[in-house]
Amino acid sequence: MYWVSVITEAGIFAILALGLDVIWGWGGDFDLAFYGYLALGSYLTFVLTIGKPTPPVQYILGFHLPVLLSILLAVVVVVGLAAVIGAIALRNLRDIYFAVTTLGAVSALYLLVENYTPLFDGYNGVYGLINPGQTALNLTYNGYRIVFLGVVLVLLVLAYLLVQRLSRSPFGRMLRAVREDERAAAAYGRPVFGAKYRAYLFGAALAGLTGGLFAIFISAFNPSAWTPQELLVIYAAILVGGRGNPRGVILGVFVVYIGFIELTRYLPSPASRPDFAPAARQILIGLMIILMLRFRPEGLFRERPGLDRGPVPPAPAAAPASQRAAALPGLTSEERARREGDASKAARRRAGKTERVGKTE
Amino acid sequence: MTTFLVSIGIGLSTAAILSLSAVAFTLEYAVSRIANFAHGEFLTIGAYAAYSGQTIFHQNVAAAAVIAAAAGAAAGLALNFGLIEQFRGRSAITVFIATLGVAIIVENVLIIIYGAANVTYGFGQGKLHHVGPFLWTTSDIEVIISALAVAGIIYLLLQRTRFGKAVRAISQDRALAQVSGIPARRIIMQTWALAGAVAGFAGFVLADTVGTFGPTLGFGFLLLTITATVAGGLGRPYATFGGALIVGLAIQIAGTYTSSAYQLVFAFLLLVLLMLFRPNGVFVRRSAVAVRA
Repeated sequence: MYWVSVITEAGIFAILALGLDVIWGWGGDFDLAFYGYLALGSYLTFVLTIGKPTPPVQYILGFHLPVLLSILLAVVVVVGLAAVIGAIALRNLRDIYFAVTTLGAVSALYLLVENYTPLFDGYNGVYGLINPGQTALNLTYNGYRIVFLGVVLVLLVLAYLLVQRLSRSPFGRMLRAVREDERAAAAYGRPVFGAKYRAYLFGAALAGLTGGLFAIFISAFNPSAWTPQELLVIYAAILVGGRGNPRGVILGVFVVYIGFIELTRYLPSPASRPDFAPAARQILIGLMIILMLRFRPEGLFRERPGLDRGPVPPAPAAAPASQRAAALPGLTSEERARREGDASKAARRRAGKTERVGKTE
Repeated sequence: MTTFLVSIGIGLSTAAILSLSAVAFTLEYAVSRIANFAHGEFLTIGAYAAYSGQTIFHQNVAAAAVIAAAAGAAAGLALNFGLIEQFRGRSAITVFIATLGVAIIVENVLIIIYGAANVTYGFGQGKLHHVGPFLWTTSDIEVIISALAVAGIIYLLLQRTRFGKAVRAISQDRALAQVSGIPARRIIMQTWALAGAVAGFAGFVLADTVGTFGPTLGFGFLLLTITATVAGGLGRPYATFGGALIVGLAIQIAGTYTSSAYQLVFAFLLLVLLMLFRPNGVFVRRSAVAVRA
């Protein structure tokens, strides 16, 4: 049963990582608000399903809806929040400015949830969603957990197929073209904001779904479950697996979650220092992020944007050709920056010790 | 009215600490063109260094402040040498993510050394003083005076010394500065040491005013720092003081009339508003056109 639980968790986070990869891997937007969408999805699934609160516990709504409907509603609300944050952050802001704005938004949400108890009971959080539908399905506790694992894996495969399909679609290629060069993409008539915005909403929807699954998985949710560190693990997993490559992302999540859970189980955890093992795990995550960025930014699996393999319509010939041209380079911005770096390094060597004209921005 | 004046007094004290942290952040940005997410960790390192040093130096505030600044400077040098220089030529967001990794590492190393629980200084806040309309503790007054002193020193350094001239040249165009014979690497190193020292000192005064602190001290303060920096305009050291004043006053006044638990919520909403309407700082006339850092 231990392994069932480990694989279920990794599967849930793999779906989450697929959503984040659409935003960050394809769109190139380093979103720090992302874990907030999982949290909101999770909270809403609880309050829509577990019924009225008994004082002193307090939270909003408190309905007794079927769990599937709750998750669906939660996804809708999460996408609504993402629509607001995305509209603010994606319109003009990029890179660090985008990252900082999303971090500000999620921090405001976090503090609000933590301090305003009528919302989701503040620091105590919500709980009590234990195996919804277990009696209806006539399952034992363990049987339910195994069925749930199956559901998660099926959803993961569906999410993978969807993302893979999207990756090869004109939308996926447009998103990558926008990431590589916004001006060029705009010059070819691609809606820069529209592309990024749709990607953002799609990613947030997957995060909301993951929040619902997570609610069933851990049956309790409070602010300590969505600290900023949780998101970093997802980013580390994407970096390891291969940013922009759905298969790599799933592999990365399984490697990081299972590998790390297994490895860090053997860390010494002296009774005098109960913080040691979790802290050491965080240090390893941080090291992994830095080392991957420095030495292998493309990850284990390179990004492989799908080329336009379909028949080229005879007229107008210009449009598909330009799409291909935009997608063809098949390089991530990282790689390109590195190649430019190499070229400029050589140029610098030729030109003595003058430094490269700063286009690091 | 009294409540309002008291909140302004506290706001000024907050703004003083904020300005120290924000001016260091903006100096780092000015020379290296990167947003340092591990900046908060400089503050934490300074605070813990002073904590370790206070027993050796028998609760001497001045000695603790010097230790904090020295530890911060060492951290600044280490980060520039070990990470920023290694990532030269990479995109700004890549370096940003890497410094995020550093922040996580430092925070957890401190957890392993000092434990996750909060620790407390033995300095005390001193008596309450009525200064004009404001109500300040002795340490509040010390904080405000030291912030003004640091601001003056930084102004003189940047405007009146060869080092300052070099920093200003590099912040405008590193390559051009280099061609003109400015030893850019060395100047950048020195700037990081200076920024680290100011941040370490800021960490010490922050921890001292708050009373107790833990390994997340700096990380929690980072977003406030960034808000103040953006309010002033990223990479503009003098405007940063104005930005810190705005943010410090805004959150204290807002916090006084709602609840102190929400004052950070106001700060983050302020950040989002700034990003929306004035991403280049409130002191710049140019309207918010696409900002690509």
